[in-house]
Amino acid sequence: MKMSLVVRTTTKLIAPFLVTYGAYLTIYGYESPGGGFQAGVLFAVSVILLMTAYGYRRTKKHFPLRTVQLVESASALWVVGIALIGLAFGAFFLNFLRLYIPGGTVMTFNIGVALKVGTSFVLVFYVLSRWVDRD
Amino acid sequence: MGLIVLLAALPLLFAFLTALTVPLRLEKLAKYPFLAGAVAPWAVFLFEKAGNEVVGGWPRIGGIEVSLDVYNTPLVLGELILFTAVAVYSLDYFREVKAFVLLLLLHAGLLGAFISRDLFNFYIFMEIASVSSFALVGSSGKRKAVRAAYKYLMLSLLASYFFVFSIGVIYLKTGYLNLELISESVMPSKEINVAIAIAFASLLLKAGIFPLHVWLPDAHSLAPTPVSALLSGAVVKAPAYGMILIFSALPVSEGLSETAMVLAVASIFFGVAMALLQKDAKRLLAYHTVSQMGYVLLGIASMNFVGAAYYAMAHSLFKGGLFLSVGSLGKKSRKLGEFGYKNAPLMALSVLMLSLAIGGVSPFIGSYAKGLISSGLAGAWKWAVLAGSVGTLVSFTKLNYYLTKGEAPALPLSWKFASFALALAAFVGGLVLGAVPKVTDVYLLLAGILLFLLFKMAGVFELTLEKEDVKPGEVNTGAMLFALFLLLLLYLAEL
Repeated sequence: MKMSLVVRTTTKLIAPFLVTYGAYLTIYGYESPGGGFQAGVLFAVSVILLMTAYGYRRTKKHFPLRTVQLVESASALWVVGIALIGLAFGAFFLNFLRLYIPGGTVMTFNIGVALKVGTSFVLVFYVLSRWVDRD
Repeated sequence: MGLIVLLAALPLLFAFLTALTVPLRLEKLAKYPFLAGAVAPWAVFLFEKAGNEVVGGWPRIGGIEVSLDVYNTPLVLGELILFTAVAVYSLDYFREVKAFVLLLLLHAGLLGAFISRDLFNFYIFMEIASVSSFALVGSSGKRKAVRAAYKYLMLSLLASYFFVFSIGVIYLKTGYLNLELISESVMPSKEINVAIAIAFASLLLKAGIFPLHVWLPDAHSLAPTPVSALLSGAVVKAPAYGMILIFSALPVSEGLSETAMVLAVASIFFGVAMALLQKDAKRLLAYHTVSQMGYVLLGIASMNFVGAAYYAMAHSLFKGGLFLSVGSLGKKSRKLGEFGYKNAPLMALSVLMLSLAIGGVSPFIGSYAKGLISSGLAGAWKWAVLAGSVGTLVSFTKLNYYLTKGEAPALPLSWKFASFALALAAFVGGLVLGAVPKVTDVYLLLAGILLFLLFKMAGVFELTLEKEDVKPGEVNTGAMLFALFLLLLLYLAEL
């Protein structure tokens, strides 16, 4: 199912800005309002917008189901992994990266959360639209 | 050293690793991370000292506190033993990777709930466990099971939201979520009483105790067998641990703890009575969970938290074992009398051992836990425990009577092994904890068998109470019951 030309063009124009804003929220989330979850929702919204405008099949070509699944579980591993690596420096979830990266583990953690949340939402929509089986 | 938190983190890590096998097309290997995740917390449990710690070395006000203390060590141990047995069992039961991932998430959620000393984190982990159990109940895809899962989901989420609300009220009044800090700074007031009543009502629903048990028999009996074992053995223990947290940290009014005692006894007898009338083997066991959770509540209401924790551990061993053994015997038909253990001596031995354990007969762990519970009770309440034991023995005489009549289907070795391991754990646990044989046990057993014969002659077991399907309207009934009960508790909390 396709939307009208106006909708498709607007979506195409807006989606990159949404992704940029999501990236901004992820990276600066540790010192300004924002964070992993909000950024993840923005990432998901940009893909879901494409899905509503162009349909499930065309979106799936650019964001294949398997890749989404892969990123989803890998980013979850990333989050737990950061918490576990902290153990080597003394404590679970220790902020051991503070000296090397601005924000330390908080920012790296946010990146993981953003990817996890974004891909999870996309996956939910994929599964639902496959189930509804329209377009 | 500060590794207690790994109890919850390791199963989570392996859950994601197991999920990663799907997009990598390595589904065949999924059972290895699954088994690793099931077993990994043992290493932490065995080598970690008991104590409190705040994760990541943050200050206590903002940090997350976890602990392994005298209240939750039995719960964690019971969950670990049960989950290991269930993991071995499910290798030959589930085909899909999804089920393995959900089981590991359930594992992580339960362990996380049991170790947390912080109301909000307790809630989060309890929800992780609940959400994975909704999915697991419906995972067989049969219509009845999906409906039971839906009913469980609606009622349990209703209770969860009320629980979060009560946590919010407690946070508003004390300014803390950490249990230690709450108990230091709490002042008795109307708002705190209300919060305790709401939290108590919602945890009662999630633990499946008598007036709010409506979802439990359906969900626990219609779920796949390994899931039933986990649900009855461990998932209902998480809310029970929540009650321990609330009762130990907050000033519970006299009216509420009296009500809890009455509810506990009502739950014990109601569960037994309903179990006696069941014709479906797994439903019988599910009603027994209602009855057994009554004992746990009895321990909590009499402020005997150690007793409650040990009873919960004992229950996870024997009820998990019973579900695994009876569920695998009744693979084809679950109707009593149509299957049995006539040609399966090992299964017969495990079912008999587990039946004795649940009845509280002495070298088994059930008798030790019952002794602990009744040691904290005064006068007449002790008799309730004894009478409940007789009732339990009657219904398990019934179960074994029907099981001796039927033939067993061919079973995989791992299924027999898992049920027998749990039976052995119930036996060895009793010996290690020091349950001594008593003369009263013989009388109890005799009374149970005599009553069984009496009931059989009176034709009690012929009564039909059949229920074919879960109806959508039952969700409304359950929600209404919860609302009425909540109002009653709010009234009683002020007394």
